[in-house]
Amino acid sequence: MQNILVCYKWILNEQEIKIDPNTLSLDTSRAKKRISEYDKNAIELAAQIVEAQGGSSIAISYGGADVKQSLKDALARGPERAIWVNDPNSDKADAYVTANALAAAVRQAGDYSMILCADTSADASNQQVPLRLAVLLGIPAITCVIKLDVEGEKVIATRRVGDTTEKISVEGPAVFTVLPEIAQPRFPTVKQVLAAGRKPQLELKVDDLGLESEKLTPKRTLREIKGYTMSRKNIVYKEGTPAEIAAQLVNNLIKEGVI
Amino acid sequence: MAGIWIYSEDIILAKELVTPAKELAKQAGQKVGAIALDAEGAKELAALGVTKVIVLQSSSSWVEAYEQVVADVLQEEGADIVLIGGTIRGKYTAAKAAARLDAGLLTDAVKVMLENNKLIAERFVYGGLAVTTEELSFPAFVTIPPRSYEIMTAESEQGEVIVKEVTAEPGITVVDVIKTQQQGVDISKADRVIGIGRGVEKLEDLTMIQALADAAGAEVGCTRPICEELKWMPIDRYIGISGQVIKGSLYIAVGTSGQIQHVAGIRDSKVIVAINTNEKEPIFTASDYGIVGDYADIVPALTEALQNAKA
Ligand SMILES: Cc1cc2nc3c(=O)[nH]c(=O)nc-3n(C[C@H](O)[C@H](O)[C@H](O)COP(=O)(O)OP(=O)(O)OC[C@H]3O[C@@H](n4cnc5c(N)ncnc54)[C@H](O)[C@@H]3O)c2cc1C
Repeated sequence: MQNILVCYKWILNEQEIKIDPNTLSLDTSRAKKRISEYDKNAIELAAQIVEAQGGSSIAISYGGADVKQSLKDALARGPERAIWVNDPNSDKADAYVTANALAAAVRQAGDYSMILCADTSADASNQQVPLRLAVLLGIPAITCVIKLDVEGEKVIATRRVGDTTEKISVEGPAVFTVLPEIAQPRFPTVKQVLAAGRKPQLELKVDDLGLESEKLTPKRTLREIKGYTMSRKNIVYKEGTPAEIAAQLVNNLIKEGVI
Repeated sequence: MAGIWIYSEDIILAKELVTPAKELAKQAGQKVGAIALDAEGAKELAALGVTKVIVLQSSSSWVEAYEQVVADVLQEEGADIVLIGGTIRGKYTAAKAAARLDAGLLTDAVKVMLENNKLIAERFVYGGLAVTTEELSFPAFVTIPPRSYEIMTAESEQGEVIVKEVTAEPGITVVDVIKTQQQGVDISKADRVIGIGRGVEKLEDLTMIQALADAAGAEVGCTRPICEELKWMPIDRYIGISGQVIKGSLYIAVGTSGQIQHVAGIRDSKVIVAINTNEKEPIFTASDYGIVGDYADIVPALTEALQNAKA
């Protein structure tokens, strides 16, 4: 039986963010929030393990007051309950602060046998919160997991690291970060969505976590964010036969010295 | 030794890191130190002008297990800035060591600078849509992706190499390590790449694509759905924010729409070519040369033109 904690992040849908071509500023006015895509794979894995072996899973998130809106979607995907940390300053948090807050929340979640996280996030891609969390909790961390097998007291994690596949055996609680291919997220059914509304939710105010202010002061501060533009030649061939176009292109590629 | 420290389990990457480390050290009037895992490589780092190279030796073959010792050494030395090679294992070490030292970490930096005793770094967010400039207080950790910097030539002044016997307890057991059968080469290191997307209609057409690749002296890569949904190519062939990053001289995108997550993996290519039926697709904004047309017509024509050019 597994008691799984699964972490997720409530973020802007990056596909709905627009860049102003003149100022390069980001227009997020039309961007809705959603559970980070990668986290859906982790939540799904938690659900599959619990469905196959019994136990339960708890979804955990850290963010601002709007995280409340994410709970129903998270819970519809499987977890039995949700715990979220509400921090009015979460928009300034870095991975250091986030991990400190999550670790405090985990300590309030009771016994757990594993913590699942995505290997990265679709907004900041920091790739550090799960590892920091493991250090704070004093448990091992295994990243890039593509398969997780529970064998009694042991968990065997298969990880993909570049051109190497490693099998790692762990006993006792550990943090695992998973790659998207590990489990395809479900589309919650109407029944699952309705049931989610009745599942318990626990809100933790960041001030009630007992963390010193130092632990909630980011080490990294944002100076500027700008849309990225590439300066490319943007030469487009529309006219001519394929052979003519191909000949022109090859000429240019030779001039560029890439052929 | 305070100052700028570097670490990578990959010696080539470690040598690349010496380049930005020395720039920062010059600005700060400080020295460069390095932590290495192999004694031979350590000598090469010392020859590049790293003042002090500490070689960690233990019986552990799981590189990630060194994070604690790396953190200990950095703390002992009082490092101000730590540049770590941004491999999967390097980022693991960086995040854990930074956590142990209560330090900030910025992963995948594309630029690092020094300003008033703060490290300023740039990185991509939102899958490559935007760039942030961020400030880190000391000690500041940064990871730098492979092949971001050229390796400098050796200096006349050699640094010292210190070998340290350490214990690296991973708290886990490595049961098995399998080298994935490499189907062809590592596309992240290829100089020319043809990338196919969902616009390529059938698996048989890969023959046509391979002919183009042969004519161009290129490797074939793809977008994520080609691996994950269609399973036409091994997972290590897809390019993008969650896959491989290529930095070669030529990328030819065939039937790919050019979503930001894919473009994030190709934008460091010198020249980008797109072949796509729909001229409104974002891949055209990301390209130097775009051909509006059906790949089934364009690809064979391009193959022939390349063969003619060589003949
Ligand atoms: C969090 C996250 C991470 C992601 N990471 C990655 C990543 O790392 N790498 C990645 O690739 N994707 C990634 N994606 C997916 C990405 O957003 C796109 O969905 C994907 O890249 C699109 O693949 P595609 O271009 O092959 O397919 P499509 O978007 O379906 O494009 C097919 C293209 O083919 C063109 N076409 C059709 N017929 C023809 C023809 N006969 N001749 C020529 N052109 C034709 C069409 O005009 C179209 O532009 C990620 C998505 C998310 C949400």
